[in-house]
Amino acid sequence: MDRDLLKQCLRYHGESLFNKLKCEQTENPDFQAVASDLCKATYERGEEQSNPLVEQFIARKADILFCPSWKTATAQEDEHEEEEAAEPYAIMPPLELFMEVSYEERRSMMYRDLEKGDIVVGRINNIREYGFFLTLLCMAGGLKREIEDLELSALCHVRELPSTGSHDDPLAYFQTGDLIRAAVKDIDRYQEKITVSLQPASLPPSSEQIKLGVITREELPLHYSRSVRAAADSTETYGYILGGCHGYHNPSVVDYLLEKVGISDTHPPSMMRGLQSNLFKEEDFASVIRKKQSASWALKCVRAGVDHFKHGRHVEAMNEYNKALEIDTNNVEALVARGALYANKGSIVKAITDFELALESCPDHRNAKKYLCQTLVERGKQLEEQEKLVTAEGLYRRALSLDDSNPEAQEALRKITDAMQKSIRLREEALAKEQDKAKSGPTSAEKLRKILKEEKRMKKKRRRSSSSSSSSTSRSSTSSSSSSSSRRKSKKKKKKQKRKAERANKRHRRISSRESRRSEEGKSKKDRKDKDEEELEWYPAPPNTSATFLNQTGGLVFGARDEEEVEERKISQLYSLSAASEEEDDHSSRRERKGRDREDSRTRKNSQSRSTEGRDMSRERGREDNRKDRRDSDSKRRSSLDDKSKRRLSCSSAELENSQKSASGNSAYKHPEARMRRNSSTRNSLDGGRIESRGRQDFHKVEEVMRRAEEERSNKNVGNHNEEGDTRPKKDLPANLLNIFNQIAQFEKEKGGQPKK
Amino acid sequence: MEGPSSRLSASQVKHVKLPGRRDSSGDSETDPSRNMKTHFRVCRFIMETGVKLGMRSVPVATACVLYHRFFERVSIHAYEPYLVAMSCIYLAGKVEEQHLRTRDIINVSHRYFNSGSAPLECDKEFWDLRDSVVQCELLILRQLNFHISFEHPHKYLLHYLLSVKSLVNRHAWSRTPVAETSWALLRDCYHGAMCIRHTPQHIAIATLYLALKSYGVELPVGEKEWWQVLCEDVTKADIDAVISDLLQLYDMEAKCI
Repeated sequence: MDRDLLKQCLRYHGESLFNKLKCEQTENPDFQAVASDLCKATYERGEEQSNPLVEQFIARKADILFCPSWKTATAQEDEHEEEEAAEPYAIMPPLELFMEVSYEERRSMMYRDLEKGDIVVGRINNIREYGFFLTLLCMAGGLKREIEDLELSALCHVRELPSTGSHDDPLAYFQTGDLIRAAVKDIDRYQEKITVSLQPASLPPSSEQIKLGVITREELPLHYSRSVRAAADSTETYGYILGGCHGYHNPSVVDYLLEKVGISDTHPPSMMRGLQSNLFKEEDFASVIRKKQSASWALKCVRAGVDHFKHGRHVEAMNEYNKALEIDTNNVEALVARGALYANKGSIVKAITDFELALESCPDHRNAKKYLCQTLVERGKQLEEQEKLVTAEGLYRRALSLDDSNPEAQEALRKITDAMQKSIRLREEALAKEQDKAKSGPTSAEKLRKILKEEKRMKKKRRRSSSSSSSSTSRSSTSSSSSSSSRRKSKKKKKKQKRKAERANKRHRRISSRESRRSEEGKSKKDRKDKDEEELEWYPAPPNTSATFLNQTGGLVFGARDEEEVEERKISQLYSLSAASEEEDDHSSRRERKGRDREDSRTRKNSQSRSTEGRDMSRERGREDNRKDRRDSDSKRRSSLDDKSKRRLSCSSAELENSQKSASGNSAYKHPEARMRRNSSTRNSLDGGRIESRGRQDFHKVEEVMRRAEEERSNKNVGNHNEEGDTRPKKDLPANLLNIFNQIAQFEKEKGGQPKK
Repeated sequence: MEGPSSRLSASQVKHVKLPGRRDSSGDSETDPSRNMKTHFRVCRFIMETGVKLGMRSVPVATACVLYHRFFERVSIHAYEPYLVAMSCIYLAGKVEEQHLRTRDIINVSHRYFNSGSAPLECDKEFWDLRDSVVQCELLILRQLNFHISFEHPHKYLLHYLLSVKSLVNRHAWSRTPVAETSWALLRDCYHGAMCIRHTPQHIAIATLYLALKSYGVELPVGEKEWWQVLCEDVTKADIDAVISDLLQLYDMEAKCI
């Protein structure tokens, strides 16, 4: 029992409480220990009759009330109230303002309770050579009291001003009447003198972020302005202000304040004997019961699943297992059962994952271990067939580490190590032979370097071609480079290969598209670094990885659709050299886009045939969009969402881009002028764009040519728009256009990154 | 305890919805103190369940108020009070935006009635129980005319605590667990119908008053007392009334449980 607290209480309530305590707490050894001490306590007010019921209550509950563990709130550092717009709870004026406590009492209370580190706000009333004097207005942190009318004055010594530099007098920065926020440095309680400081070091650590010094009227604490209002208007009562506070209506005000006060709401205090927190058992809590229940429920499902499995109803069994895992994720039995089913069905990798998960949560599960061991060996054999000896060996070793007496695994491991040693020997021999052959020639490292260089050059070439011409050529060039080593193709693996090829295809495409963009805008260092990494990652295509199947199966897999895509990609590359980011998108979205593209083109056609004005507008828009596109294409590549939203625009602008390209192509020769024009065109509003573009027509003949070509094409589109859309005419673009594109690309490459050779 | 476990079984639940069940022992039917004891026990059940469900204080308070308001309108013999309590908990979770799952409520209650028992199987009994909880929720809603959001003393008390705190020397305050005590008193007062008889401000002031008195904390006195300032219409008699109601509840605990 907290003796001091008890004493304080007894002093307040008098002897009658002590008698009741003695009566009620006879069986409490704690009380007996302190009782003798307490009877010496002085009773201040025995004469004022306090409520006997209350005393009875205190006496009965004394063991709870005065138990040291009852106090859960830790002595919190008085954080300073958030004065921001977000008022998490109602910040009220000090209570004594409403209580009208007498001047003397408040003044003495103030001197009693004010402490070093409290923050005050005052107005300068006098500046002397050794410092200035403040008339205190209000408290701004630490204590919260009403002090404006207490006529407190505080000295801020010149030493306590933060030095602003070597030169003049720091006091020169202050004027009489300035509002100052300062920290209390010292209080002389007898002489009633307060000194304050503007040094940040004088703040307590919890409020270091508070800025001391001159403040504006707006920065005055919220409770001060409220108390000023309340003092002026007697209708502003405590309850009225409370209801009007923004923070009072905060829906989570209770939670916020509970945390501030330091009361736990999940283990709430209670004076009821039956609700003491030590009476609550962990296993009665909802989460514990739910867990138990889920586990048993899941087990029931597993049992049903096993039953299905035994009768050969594998689908039903799988459903039950999945249900079990839905109810109770990581249910060990369900995982083991499902793994066994997977293994039975031949999905060995899935089986292994399940067993591993099961073992993770229950490392000693016998069945899981046994099954995992078996499946690992099985998987190892599969890998062996695929000639991935090292991986297979690893699997065998792992199987043995689970069960070192497994004969199958031992056998398999022995075999595989033999095979590996054999192949190593063979290779060594071959290597030795080769070295004999080329003794004077370069070492293997040099050779490798050479190969890499060769590859790099190839790629550069490819890149250039891809940036200027259609991607199909770039593809074919890749194929020529890599397909030479890929003639081994077994029927058995075909399915897998397909999948891999698909993936690789995607990746490849992405890379090539990225490259094409890079070649235009590869300016920043980081980009170049990225690319280097990419190149490294891209280079070596070992014989049995995905890259080899790339070109053999790609066409087969995708069939007509792929052709379509190629076509489309060609188009987009022709049109917008920089809009490559679109290419990353998966097929579905691309097709979707394609559909939209068609629609767009149809509408475009209409508008084109009707008026050139509309087209000019859209061109203007397209250009703007396009430029933006290029500027943040890097970030855009990542955020495909953004991409999608913009795609419509960029698509509609795609057609117009060739004209823009031509403009930038011109800019190779008339660079400054072109840029100026472009800038002005962005600045121009849409209707201004028409006049602008007309003027441009005069100046730039190339563009004129382009436009004519475009119109031509659009006319053609009108002709066959239904079946082909806009894919057809791009094929018969004039050859000189391609030349121009090449020039653009060339130029931009030179302008961009320095030549990479 | 007179074994609420026997009272709440799936078979019982069925005629829970039948109003006018008059089969309880006839001698104490009109005895209000008996009803009060039942309510006390049911509220204790709500409190305990609340803690086990991890409910915050305000939703628990709402559940209790829902319960008391419901039985203000209907006879305790018409409906199974524990089922009503479960539905009140469920509804309070919705009202105060701390969503609870019926499954958890049923699990915890089941364990409350049959302590140490294994959790219910998810079978017909469970689903029947769940159905009756949901049905009863609708019943409560209709009985209360969908007036299901209440003003609680909790936020008053917390604001008052902060205001009073700055009247006291900070060291004296940090030594004295006034906040914990007043919060505990406030939570405890939901054991009885007093929580709907008094206004929230009065309850908040009374609990704070009692907590301060318990530790002999003295506040400065001006023209007005601190509690007069916090709420204009509160009188000393109001505070005493709340306190005596509250202290009665503590006495009841000894008698009931």
